[in-house]
Amino acid sequence: MKIVDRHDEAPGVRTMKLEFQDRADHELFKITFRTGMFGLYGIYGEGESTFCVASPETRKDYIECTFRQSGRVTSALANADVGDLITFRGPYGNRFPIEDFYGKNLLFVSGGIALPPTRSVIWSCLDQREKFGRVTIVYGARTVADLVYKHELDEWQMRDDVELVLTVDPGGESPDWKHKVGFVPTVLEEAAPSPDNCIAVICGPPIMIKFTLISLKKLGFDEKNVYTTLENRMKCGVGKCGRCNVGSVYVCKEGPVFTAAEVARMPAADL
Amino acid sequence: MTRILFSDKLDNCIARWRAAGLTVFGPVKTDTLSSYAAIEQASDFDFESVLPDRSIKDLFFPQTEPMLRYTIKKRAIETEDFTPPNGKRIIFGARPCDASGLAIDDSLFGWDYKDEYWIQRRNESVIVSIACTKADDFCLCSSLNLAPDSSTGSDVLLRPLENNNGWVVEELTDRGREAFLAIAELLQDGSDPIAPIADVPEKFDLDTCVAWLQNPENFESKFWKEISMRCIGCGSCTYLCPTCHCFDIQDEGDTYSGIRRKNWDSCSFALFTMHTSGHNPRATQSARWRQRIMHKFNYFPGTFSVNSCSGCGRCSRQCPVDMGITETLQKISTLQP
Repeated sequence: MKIVDRHDEAPGVRTMKLEFQDRADHELFKITFRTGMFGLYGIYGEGESTFCVASPETRKDYIECTFRQSGRVTSALANADVGDLITFRGPYGNRFPIEDFYGKNLLFVSGGIALPPTRSVIWSCLDQREKFGRVTIVYGARTVADLVYKHELDEWQMRDDVELVLTVDPGGESPDWKHKVGFVPTVLEEAAPSPDNCIAVICGPPIMIKFTLISLKKLGFDEKNVYTTLENRMKCGVGKCGRCNVGSVYVCKEGPVFTAAEVARMPAADL
Repeated sequence: MTRILFSDKLDNCIARWRAAGLTVFGPVKTDTLSSYAAIEQASDFDFESVLPDRSIKDLFFPQTEPMLRYTIKKRAIETEDFTPPNGKRIIFGARPCDASGLAIDDSLFGWDYKDEYWIQRRNESVIVSIACTKADDFCLCSSLNLAPDSSTGSDVLLRPLENNNGWVVEELTDRGREAFLAIAELLQDGSDPIAPIADVPEKFDLDTCVAWLQNPENFESKFWKEISMRCIGCGSCTYLCPTCHCFDIQDEGDTYSGIRRKNWDSCSFALFTMHTSGHNPRATQSARWRQRIMHKFNYFPGTFSVNSCSGCGRCSRQCPVDMGITETLQKISTLQP
């Protein structure tokens, strides 16, 4: 796929917009892609890395992906320029069943670099806004600089049909920071969204997920109405290479999207 | 009356099979670990050892193999898929545990997204197994609902004669019948007595072990730490295992051209599951050994209705710290479910 645009979201975090070079590949993507699915992005000579498709299922002319530059492949991807070609395998995995969310209120809870998968669901819903009730987004990062999609956060802030709660970890605020200071689960409990007729989509580092699930339980959310996406190390993406399983569940085949009820049945020590 | 292949006809058989376009493989001794390899004549075979050190997996799922070659040009990336070398072959003298191992991995590689390399090699190979008349203390097929003369995964099963001068032939599949058609006139009818199969005592009760593994409360049992304390995470057990199938994908080359390879990987290694963030779902050796046991006797049978272990015992036989599946399951079978 060709990189047609790229920009930095935060220190070391980059978004790339990719366009298909092959018409048949693109048609297949349009038929199969649904929000929540992932792909393997690669550069020959370096390898492949797994991230979600960060763009929504309502915008299939391109793929956007957002990644933190940390290893060999992501460094090579970060060095790739507009006009360069990279490889994409996918989309793989299951999806967020957003038709099941029609008519319901939506709560998105996300932390740090985990906004990209959440953002795919957020836009998939906002692009057909009339089908959903209230939309609340709680997003936090370690520091103000680490917040990703800042331009979209501004856009959601301006919309009167979206309630956005932003927070940074204590010590991560800048002098002009006007939003919350505190960890995501704490801020979520303060915001106290009603669990009535509400679906929660949460994504974040394992520690945030753990405490957010506790907070949602306190707020009265049923585990069946809470969705998350697990991101384990993968190589093949098609259920053969043997590493992404949590207990007996293969994240690449049966996930990456699971309800909190499904996650609760997995062995916690394998997460 | 049974059909018998006498050992002194084996060189003739090899010649016939070669004339029919088959490459002949079998268990051979080497300077290092013994293995299944291509042979020239009957004297190359090693039928005396209990089984080769390396499993038959090597011939179907090599330790490393190229998947594609890439060339990067100014405005295009060109790739060329590798296909496994074409060639029909007969693997003569496979052990029943190795043949069963192939049948086990057929379920994984042939499920959902199909592994063409595996399937092509399977379709092009005739597996002629020889029932075991010898076993060692590490053999455990009988504990896994298999036996020294199991026919699972074999196209032909041979039963050694009591005089050790040939085998009774049992053709099991069309592929096996076709390969033995080429040597039909070298077979003789006879009623020579067959040698008794090896005595492999049952080492544990599998159902008891599986029940313990399936109990979620035992996932964090201190048993896992105790049993794997001496594991050094070398991965030998997984590499020698006929059914361990985990792999890595790596690129070799530079920005302009190179090869993407599929390499064996191992759940024994910390890097196997390590996230970019540093978080590792299976951060300790005990978690990784638990994964190996759970995968073989709980997760894999949950999906494919067959255990991912054929009882060859290589994991215990070759383990540098004397661990292995046998010891682990023996101890589990004594625990409260």
